[in-house]
Amino acid sequence: MVNLPTTPADILPFIIAVVTSHTFITIVIFPGLIHLIVVVMFLTWYERKLLARIQLRIGPLYAGGLGGILQPIADGMKLIFKEVMIPYKADKPLFLGIPLALVFLGALPFAVIPFGQHWVIANLDVGLVFVFAVASLFPSMILIFAWASNSKYPFLGGLRSLFQQVAYEIPMWISTLSVVMLAGSLNLVQIVNAQQKMWFIGPAFLSFVVFFIASMAELERLPFDLPSAEPELVAGWFTESSGAIFMVIFLALYMKLYLMSSLITVLFLGGWWGPAFLPQPVWFLLKALVVATLIIIPRGVYARLRVDLLIKVGWTRLLVIALANVFITVALLSTGVLSAWGL
Amino acid sequence: MDLSIPPDITFVVLTTITLLAAIMALQSKELIYGAISLAVSFIGIAGFFVSLDAPYLAMLQIAVYVGAVVVLILFTIMLVRRDEPDKDEMGESSEGAAGLWIAGLLAVSIAGIAALAGPSLPTTPATGNLPISQLGPVLAETYPVPLIILALLLSGALLGALVLAKVDR
Repeated sequence: MVNLPTTPADILPFIIAVVTSHTFITIVIFPGLIHLIVVVMFLTWYERKLLARIQLRIGPLYAGGLGGILQPIADGMKLIFKEVMIPYKADKPLFLGIPLALVFLGALPFAVIPFGQHWVIANLDVGLVFVFAVASLFPSMILIFAWASNSKYPFLGGLRSLFQQVAYEIPMWISTLSVVMLAGSLNLVQIVNAQQKMWFIGPAFLSFVVFFIASMAELERLPFDLPSAEPELVAGWFTESSGAIFMVIFLALYMKLYLMSSLITVLFLGGWWGPAFLPQPVWFLLKALVVATLIIIPRGVYARLRVDLLIKVGWTRLLVIALANVFITVALLSTGVLSAWGL
Repeated sequence: MDLSIPPDITFVVLTTITLLAAIMALQSKELIYGAISLAVSFIGIAGFFVSLDAPYLAMLQIAVYVGAVVVLILFTIMLVRRDEPDKDEMGESSEGAAGLWIAGLLAVSIAGIAALAGPSLPTTPATGNLPISQLGPVLAETYPVPLIILALLLSGALLGALVLAKVDR
């Protein structure tokens, strides 16, 4: 704790003390705001390059010098200076407010995600439930935004998005149950600490598969991009967004992609644990990048699911597998097979 | 009641937000705004749980009520055809009178219960860090009166919903 300045001469040391304090650095620089924005910009560039390599797209493959790393900045500039079109009779406060709320909700869960033993903003005892509580607000925000656009296409896209996300939230929640049982805690730091000897992808492999697929459906990524369907359905629920509004929504979507990658890293891939020659946050970022790659690759490879298959996969496959894995985990824990790894 | 204790600023702010949002939820002409106000009111209640050292309940409050119940309400609003609200036979004045009646009844019953059972209520709050498995027994054995009031409220809401759904069908 730093004492408040009393004389003008104290102000500069006070500012320096605040800026160099651990709390300030974790909130503003890493793993807070600046880190988030840099990673999101990197992810847009990374996705473009990856898809260009998969599909041999000439444009994004060779665009710009330095591997086209300036492209995200150019995109941002372009979108900021574009005119923001607000549809006729749209609900203006909601139309402008919801995208900001989406970014806020996308960034909020990073407050509890541990990037290292000490690189966490808030070491909350109910961290996992906090992440889910915040994430469960996304679908209703999307529907309200779609409704506020006062247009048929966003509205239909919004309804589809809400149906899909609400349906896939259930297997996702249940699949984390086995992780919670293995770690014996809802605290994300303790969940990672419990994985020091063995990552939970081993004993809870089925959960990992279910969580991965469900998170792709939550992110509306191919093959689950029915609600947005960029090429045909003009982007679903954010059809009417333009300029800065579009940019903000895009930011929120990539934040959610990063959130899901980090969550998979924390829950199943041992978080920051790795050989000691690299610092802990570096291991975390590397693992999250690998997960993000796995989430992005299907976009260049697969076609879209039909809607009846989407429902079928969600309710008759994922839910059953997730529930089955709960029993498997109980059996593993009660027979003491995992005691060699300290579980 | 000891009135010399200064009011807790967090409590005052949370109460104001929760109650204002609840009033907005009932009064707004646009149903969507009503649903959003309801969500804000639920988040305010989650704030109460946080200030009472029950973060687990707070998170579940947000996940279940804001994440699921409000979504359900939104679904209903969006999927039901939006017609002009039909004026029922009750006028504005009789609606207000009914509201006053219900508020009076509620106040009288709460005051009655408090007067009858108030002295037996525990004056010290339960100490923090209650294990979640102990939540049920503590709730039912230490705080039976608030539990009964809650049950009454829920039954009232259920009856109200029945009455509303039955109109002119």
